[in-house]
Formats: sequence, C-alpha cells, structure tokens
Amino acid sequence: MSVSALTRPGERDRLVVKFSEIDWLFSLALCLIAGAGALMMFSIAGSSWEPWAGAHLLRFGIMFVVMVALAMVDLRVWFAIAYPIYGIGLVLLVLVEVIGDVRMGAQRWLDLGPLGSFQPSEVMKLGIVLGLARFYHSISADDARFSWWLLVPILMIAAPVVLVAHQPDLGTAMLILMTGVAVVVLAGLDWRVIATGLAAAAISVPPMVMFVLHDYQRKRIFTFLDPESDPSGSGYHILQSKIALGSGGFLGKGYGLGSQSQLNFLPEKQTDFIFATLAEEFGFVGCFSVLFLYAVVIFMALRTAALAHSHFGRLSAAGVTATFALYVMINGGMVMGLAPVVGVPMPMLSYGGTVMATVMIGFGLVQAVRVHRYSEVTSGKGSFL
Amino acid sequence: MSEPSIFFTEVNERQGVFHRRAFLMGGLSGLGLLALTGRLAHLQLLEAQRYEKMSASNQFNFRLVPPPRGLIVDRNGVILASNRPNFRLLVAKDGKMDPEGTVKTLAHFVPLDAERQARLTKDLIRAPKRSPVSVMEDMSWEQFSAINVRAPELPGVTADMGEVRVYPHGGAFAHVIGYVAKVNKEDIQPTGPNSEAIMLHPGFRIGRQGVEKAFDLRLRGRPGAQKVEVDANGREVRQDSGGDIAATPGAEIQLSLDADIQTRALEVMGDESGAVVMLDCRTGDVLCMASAPSFDANRFVRGMTGSEYRALANYERKPLLDKAMSGLYPPGSTFKPTVALAALEAGIDPEIRVNCSGGWYYGGRTWRCWKHGGHGSQNMHDAIKNSCDIYFYQTALKVGPDPIARAAHALGFGQVFDLGIPGQKKGIVGSREWKRKAVKREPVWQPGDSVSYGIGQGYVNVNALQLAVMTARLANGRKALNPRLVRSIGGKELPSGAAVPDLPFQQEHVDYVRGAMIAVANDVTGTAYRQSQLGLGDVMMAGKTGTAQVRSYDNVADRNSASVQWKLKDHNLFVAFAPYDAPRYALSVIVEHGGLGGATAGAPRAREVMRVALLKDPEIRARIEKPLPMPELTPDGLAEGAAPDAPTAGAPPPAPRPPEGRT
Repeated sequence: MSVSALTRPGERDRLVVKFSEIDWLFSLALCLIAGAGALMMFSIAGSSWEPWAGAHLLRFGIMFVVMVALAMVDLRVWFAIAYPIYGIGLVLLVLVEVIGDVRMGAQRWLDLGPLGSFQPSEVMKLGIVLGLARFYHSISADDARFSWWLLVPILMIAAPVVLVAHQPDLGTAMLILMTGVAVVVLAGLDWRVIATGLAAAAISVPPMVMFVLHDYQRKRIFTFLDPESDPSGSGYHILQSKIALGSGGFLGKGYGLGSQSQLNFLPEKQTDFIFATLAEEFGFVGCFSVLFLYAVVIFMALRTAALAHSHFGRLSAAGVTATFALYVMINGGMVMGLAPVVGVPMPMLSYGGTVMATVMIGFGLVQAVRVHRYSEVTSGKGSFL
Repeated sequence: MSEPSIFFTEVNERQGVFHRRAFLMGGLSGLGLLALTGRLAHLQLLEAQRYEKMSASNQFNFRLVPPPRGLIVDRNGVILASNRPNFRLLVAKDGKMDPEGTVKTLAHFVPLDAERQARLTKDLIRAPKRSPVSVMEDMSWEQFSAINVRAPELPGVTADMGEVRVYPHGGAFAHVIGYVAKVNKEDIQPTGPNSEAIMLHPGFRIGRQGVEKAFDLRLRGRPGAQKVEVDANGREVRQDSGGDIAATPGAEIQLSLDADIQTRALEVMGDESGAVVMLDCRTGDVLCMASAPSFDANRFVRGMTGSEYRALANYERKPLLDKAMSGLYPPGSTFKPTVALAALEAGIDPEIRVNCSGGWYYGGRTWRCWKHGGHGSQNMHDAIKNSCDIYFYQTALKVGPDPIARAAHALGFGQVFDLGIPGQKKGIVGSREWKRKAVKREPVWQPGDSVSYGIGQGYVNVNALQLAVMTARLANGRKALNPRLVRSIGGKELPSGAAVPDLPFQQEHVDYVRGAMIAVANDVTGTAYRQSQLGLGDVMMAGKTGTAQVRSYDNVADRNSASVQWKLKDHNLFVAFAPYDAPRYALSVIVEHGGLGGATAGAPRAREVMRVALLKDPEIRARIEKPLPMPELTPDGLAEGAAPDAPTAGAPPPAPRPPEGRT
C-alpha cells in the first residue's frame, strides 16, 4: 500500500492509507528512547514503578496516541492554524507576564484552575516553528534570502524571546531563538547575513552576560567555565554528573548498581541528569546506543522534511527537528560538562510531562508532514478554511 | 507579497535551497552527536579510572572506630581499669533535620529533662554537620533496642555500642590511676597526637589524671576504621565489613600495686583523711599508694554535675587531693631514725646518755619532751624506742643541720621519684644552704632551727611516699631503693627500683637504727608496742611513731584533748617494716589530724595493712604456718636478727630471739 506522488488523490486521504504512511521506524526509535528512560527511572526508584517509571510510560503511551492522531490531521489544517497558534502563544506569554504565578523565582506558569497549570512558553516552541514556516511558505526564495520581509521573522522571533527571557527563563528563550533562527536559515537566508549575525552574537555575548543576566544565571555560566573551583557549591551538579558518567566506564556499573544515582549524589537524577544515570549503569555502550537512537530520530525527521512537497511542510518538520536536536545537544552537553547547567531535559528520556507533550505534538506535526508529503498547500487566501 | 506559485523554477529554487540547508543541518546534528560521543569516550574510556576513584570516595566513607583503651592491671593481673560495653545514643545534624524536634522525640525514649533538652538542642545547632553529639550514654538494653527500631524514621539518630572506661575498684585507685573524661576544646591541638580526628569522636576519652593521663598515648592505641556506604546526605546505607581496618588496642599497663593491699589500706583509713604507702623493701615496687578519703573515678567518666563536683572539691578532707604524693607534712618523730643515722655517721657514740626530765632549757626557752615527766637517762636506742624529744633536740644541735640533711637526702627525703605519674611534691629538707636560698627573711640557720629539726619539725616537710622510701631503704639496709609504680607497658618491663647504688651509710649504723625501730614495736616499753603486734607468730614488725604539730602548743595545757577541733589536731604518722628479721614490706601511714602519738591512729592501721601483705606472701605464709625448729644457738642482741636479705625458701632464716617483752 505504498503511496507515491502518482497515487490517486482520494486514495491518499483514506485513513488506513494515512496510517500506513506513518514512519514506524522513527516511532520505534521514540519508543525505545522512552523505554530506556523508564528503565532508568525504575532503577533509581529502587526497582519500583513508583514514582516515575510507570507515570513516564503512561504519559508516553498517551502522547504516542496523540502523535498518531495528529499525524492524521491534514497538512492544510496545520497550515491554517499556524498563525493562530503562534498568536495564541504570544497572547499567553503576555498574560503570564501580567497574571502568571511566580514559582521558584520565575514567572513562567499560568494557572488554569482545575486543569492545572502550564507554561505558555511550551506552546511557543511549536508556535514559532509553525508561524515561521507559514510565513516562509508565502514568500519567494529571493525574498527569503535577503529583503525587507526579513523584518517579519525577526519580529516574530524577538517578541516571544524577549517575553520568555523576561520571566526569566533563559534556557527556553535561547531554545526559541535558536529554533527560529534555524527555520530562517533553512528557508534560505543569505550566508552573508548569517555570518554577520553570528559575528554580532559573538560580540554581544560578553556584555549580555555581564549586564543583562541575573546573578544566578551568571553564576551558572562561571561555574560551567570552572566547575572544580567550588565542588560542593555551585559546581556540584556538573562535577557529580561527570563522576557518574566517567565512573560508568565502558560497560557501566550494572543495572541498579549506579552508586552516584542510587545514593543521591547525582542531582535531578530522574529529570535533567537522567542521561548521567544511564551512563553510570550502562556505560559507554548504553550511552552510545541511546545517542544512536537520537540520531535515528533526527535523521528520519529531516528525511521527512526533505521529502515534503510543500514548503510549509518542509520548514515545519525541519523546525521541529531543530528544536529536538537542540534539546539533545544542550542536555547532552550539560550532562557531560560541555554546556552550562540550564533546565533543559533530555527529550523522551527525562521524566516530565510538559516536554514530553511538546516534543510528541511536534512529532505529530512531523508525522503529519510525512503522511501528507504529497499535499500541495496553497497560500492563504482561505483556500481550505 | 509576491504570490507564490507552483512554477517549477520558483518551487525548485526554494526546494533546492532547503535541501542544501537541511543537508547542512543534518551534518551539524551529526557533528554535534559525534562531539557528544567523543566527549563520552573521553570521560568513560580514557578518564574512567579517575572518575571511578571519585565515585568510590563519594560512595564509601571510613568511619573512625575508637580503639579499646589499654587495660590497667595490678601486679597480679587484677584489673584496675577496663572497658565495658556502652549503649550510646548519638544524633548527627544533617541538612533536613530539626534539632529541637528530634531532641523532643528522643525524650520519649530516654529520660531527658527540660534543661538537658535545651542544652542538647543548643549543642546540636552548634555542632558541625554530620558530627555526632552524644545524647545519652549507658542506655539500658530496652532503650537501646527501642531507639534502634525507630532510628530509620528519625533522621540523624543512631544508637550504637561503644566502650566506656570502668574502674572496678571504684575509688581505691582513683588518685594513682586517675580517670578519663570527654575531650575538651582545649585538648585539641593543631599538631601532634592530640590533633587526630579520633579526638572528635563522641566515644573517645582522654586521660585526665594519674596513670590515665601520664600514659594516655600508650593507652589509646590506634583507631580503626569501618567502611560504610553513605548517600549524598552522609547517611549510612550499609556497612562493608570486608573493608574494615581493625583498631589497635592500647597497651596494657601493669602497675606494681597490689589490689588487695590497696583496698585494705583504704578500708582501714575509713573516714579519716590521710595516706598509706607500702613498698617492697627488696625491689622498690610500690605495693600500695592510697589517699583517703577517695572518690569514685567512674563518676568522672560519666561526667559530673556541677554540684557533685563542688561537693567533692569543697569537702574539708579534700578527697580530690592525692595525699600520698602531694600532701606535705612535718615528719615529726618518724624523722628521728634519720637524725640518729646522721649522728652515728657523724661519729657520735650512741651510748652517750642524755637525761630527759621532760623539758630542756635552751636558747631562752624551754623545749619540752612529749612525755611530761621525762624519760630519764636515754642512750640512742632508748631515745628512738621511747621517741624522746630531749635526746634528739640535743643530738641534732650537736650534729648540725647539714649532716642531717645529707642523711635525709640519702634516705629519699626532698626528692621527686620517677614514678611515671605527675603530682609529687618535693617537700623540704632543711640545711644551711637551703635556708640561705629559701628563707629570705632570715637566711641564717639558727641553732634553734637544729633543735626542732631533730624531732622532725620546722624546716622539714615530707610526703607519705618519701616516708615509705625512707623506711624501705632503712629496712633494706643496703640499697638506695627507688620506688617503681609502673611494672610494664605493653608487656615491656620497666627497670626495677633495686638497680641503684648502695646507701652511703656504714652497715652497723643502719643496723643500730633498725634495731631501735624493732624495739619501738616489740619492746613492751616501745611507743607502739601494743599497736604493732601482728599476731603472725615470729613474723613481726618494726616501726617508728610520729606526731606532726599543726600549731604551736606553747600555751596549750593539754595537747591530747578530745575536744579539740578536728582541723587543729596533730597529724599522726607511723612508718613500719616487716618481718623485722628479713624485711620485705615497708610502709608509711599518715592520718591527718589523727591526734597525738603515732601509735594511736597510725600504727593500728599500719598493722592491718601489713598483715594483708604478709599473709599474701606465700613464703611468709609458709613461715607462719610451719614454724621452723628452734635453732640450738640463741644469739643475743636484738640487732642480730635483722638480716637485710630475704631468706630463700629452703634455707632456714636466722631465727631471731623474740624480745623479752613478748609473751
């Protein structure tokens, strides 16, 4: 039941056909990563499904179904709701600025009453990708390379980044910024502009660090630069993580035998530092396997983007992939002592519902792009809705 | 906005750019993942060993285990200080615990009054993180098990078994052995043995007095370590007995003391204040060194309340003072044998008689004899036997202070002996030289000084140990014995007190004085005849009485009044050795404010202590139980019997003829 560009349009819209078009190898890789996460959570909870492993698997199961369901959603629908989602995300960010809860020193949460609370910045991770993809879908390659039109994506990126950074949530702000820049670059930004932008960023980092950042943020960066200067204080996280990793060796200490994680030397062992837990108990072999699975996910998603016929599909799939890859790189770098400690989890592997939901909804979009790769998405003008 | 069309060129251009850029992004992601893999390989393959070590040092802690403190035993191996198990309740502060709440909870399990609770809470708040504070020592088994069951719910609380020092004889050895106590801040020094981490262990005790203090480092041993797995909060997860390092127990110290003699000495002292010291006349071993009243050293180990301590410190009879070594007394008449020996050495004929009429006018005042009516005509032998003051006033005046001081020094007065433990007071042995240096107010030795010097008053001050040494040297007759208190440390024997030069006296002079001392105890007219009978057949004691004035009696009618306040009564002294024919044991007894005449308070006590020593000696026992047949010849003269060397078991001792007074 293979679908091709020559398949009859009506045939491609059948649900069974759509279902078969889902990238199952990609999905298998996701399952394996989430399974590895649950395995580690089971270990560090002292061989117990409580409190993390069971919930992690349940969440993944639910989000997997959501992902499959979203994959069925026609790309034209995605196209149509792209700007609304971006707009809603922006409105929510403004709202959180005005009425949001302050938790752990940052105003990131929006209380939804009985529905609980969530961080609007998560909506923006998807919203920025959809919004920019929608925008670039509508302009020509020449305009995308370098024109006054560039002001639109700049504003579209800057608005949420500034709002999120003000919360302050520097990690998420950087993530949104980098995701947005990735989409702009993928859309064909002129190399000279890219080079100029990189140079300007490099120049502006030191004054930003010195004058704009909060004290604790600055401290994290200095700690990252010299973690062993204060092993029991702020350098503790990085040092303990490196000890967990290094002491795992080639084959690891064995399942359930990681002293760093089992005896609580490793902080945030089930969330941000779960990769270190894995590294300690399964060693280089285990880490390499999981990184390989991430590589599979990233390259399969990029392949999906490359296969899409619509520019919107290409950019949105690639944008989601960029977000995911950034998560992996930042968390991996943090755990291994290559990046400062920022609250970025390892997607699918770490415990935590928000990121799981964001990533899986994003992958729902990627799968939708794959399922509808032959769809031509025409420009706005209410052609679909 | 230019209308995007589906023209091929346009679409292809965007698609081509995207494909190139996506390819680039794939490459960047690949590079990123490769960089992560490279970093992983660096950490996990190249530096794995370094991080394994760091992980192990996180995971395992070595918990110091205090070593068992060395035992202290007596000459026969009887334990004087040992250790017994102690169930201890400890609380260590960690991050999340609430000191006040924890102490309150613990009060449900062990008795803690409000004052103690407040103090513990304060201690806990001030204590460094994870360093345990002792809440209670010596819990009962029930308390221990109750706490242990609930310990997992109480963060920072542990109940463990340690050791605590115990002195089975209570107060009998308190002054010699001393005691151990908790380590104070002042004890901890930046370097040396008192800087070690074990000092901070709540189960560790430091020697505070006597042997415990003097040999503290030897008694301590080397701490061991217990390998324990800990979590990030320092809480113990499990023990790894394979990794333990055993503690090295402290060295055992054997003292020359005899527990039976010491205990008896303290018993006979009763409520009196004073000291008893006994030496072995052949070796110099200190068999008994008791100071009364004593105190229970175990109370110090447990920690005393302020009021308990004040009660001890303020008591008139000074239980905390070691009167055997640091109590100084005028020797009184027990000094007379020394003066006699000095006179003999100075060439004075012992047969020259002095008439005692009860008083002697000299230097503008009347010097009284203790006996109102006087002793009549006295030679040296009689004068010692009767303790005639007039004879010794005049003899000392004749001899002068310096020969007396020489003899006194030779017999051990004015000396500090190497016992191994601190606290001895040197005392005073007067001489012209000494007075010139010491008495700035009146640096010239007056003849009157010599007169009182002759009866052991004035510029002479001794302690009970020196008196016992003097007696032992006289009894031995040949060797200038040194007392030895510590026999061996960790099985290594210390030099005996007998490896010393001879006494600088002519043998016949020593024999003469000794003969007079035999008469004191065995001649019916001797000052201590009645109180010196041992009741052990022909094993008999020789001695010398003494009274040390604590005030002037010039205006007092009756020195012996029972109505005199305790503090104003004379000190009562007695020195003795036995058996007089082959001396083995020499002792001195001082009863503070015991009243007039060494025979009243000192001699009866000396007799009791001497009996214990003699009956314990198997050779003496054999002699008492199976008297040897009477030899055919009976040598006359009392001095003949006193052979300095001990008879060997098989050889018949030179059997002395009992003095005529003995019935």
